[in-house]
Amino acid sequence: MTALTDAPILKTDRLILRPPHLSDFDAFAAFYASPRAETLGGPFDRKEAWTEFAAAAGQWLLRGYGFWEITDRNSGANIGRAGIYHPDFWPEPELGWMIYGNSHEGRGIAQEAAIAARDGAARHCGITAPMSSIEAGNARSIALAERMGAHPDGEWETPYGPMLRFRHAKVAA
Amino acid sequence: MTPTLTTDRLTLRPPKASDHAAYAAFFADPEASHFYGGPLLPYQAWERLSADVGHFALKGFGRFVIERDGAPVGGCGILDVAGWPGHELTWWLLPAARGQGNAQEASRAVLAWAGDALGWRQVETHFRDENLAARRLTESLGGVKQRREIFPDGHARDIYAIPTRAEVTA
Repeated sequence: MTALTDAPILKTDRLILRPPHLSDFDAFAAFYASPRAETLGGPFDRKEAWTEFAAAAGQWLLRGYGFWEITDRNSGANIGRAGIYHPDFWPEPELGWMIYGNSHEGRGIAQEAAIAARDGAARHCGITAPMSSIEAGNARSIALAERMGAHPDGEWETPYGPMLRFRHAKVAA
Repeated sequence: MTPTLTTDRLTLRPPKASDHAAYAAFFADPEASHFYGGPLLPYQAWERLSADVGHFALKGFGRFVIERDGAPVGGCGILDVAGWPGHELTWWLLPAARGQGNAQEASRAVLAWAGDALGWRQVETHFRDENLAARRLTESLGGVKQRREIFPDGHARDIYAIPTRAEVTA
């Protein structure tokens, strides 16, 4: 992959998942400045958020897969991101997701996006049974992983501290 | 598509995964990485490398890796980081690659590319007062002080503008 525009685009009933653009940064930075990001390594100041945002974009080119921005199919609004996190120091690809604001909670948006990302990663990127690495205090993400059919797969030590590992069911590529 | 620049002794190309060892070695060295937010652990060096790749993809310009005799010895390019005032011409070199004019040679190539490919008349840079090497290099490239600002980290820095091509200064 030589450009972000080479990344696949995923569509669901309500959402379009597309690769990141520069214009997505403000929503990402606002999320990472908020207490909502505490179980995802945050909060970050704007400069730290930039490194994280740019690194995630760079992963698409380095690995050929990464995070999609979740956008509302009607309004185009950026709701969050879902996709594969796999830096050099992570033992295997991780399926991750984050929803930027609480106004989108309780409508099944995160689940719709996470399933699309899981299936898209299998179909387009050959990642068929990823793990999700979740902080023990992140009850909302743990509940979503379980609703998606992932099962607990132990605990592991990350550079950011200990995390629970969930294993997703194998999806045909 | 990120270009590759060549000079008499150097190749400047986009960063790639195999550059991790060079990034990690640089950022592990507290003295070498002092003005670059270091020292950093190897995993943080991977994030910097990934961010350099992503910067090119998101903005169309960024920081190249400098190769000499086929091996990565540092980086040079233009970064424009959110939460930080303006863009900057930036360079880093592994300690063994210093004192040989590599930063100046790489910077000249980046300035020419900024003029030709990006259409920029000048590139800005900034540095801490005690970073004498950066000031010397900037002045050797024709940089002229524009202003002084307090940066978000509380340090005051001089901001210089460097013409991308000598004839533009006339």
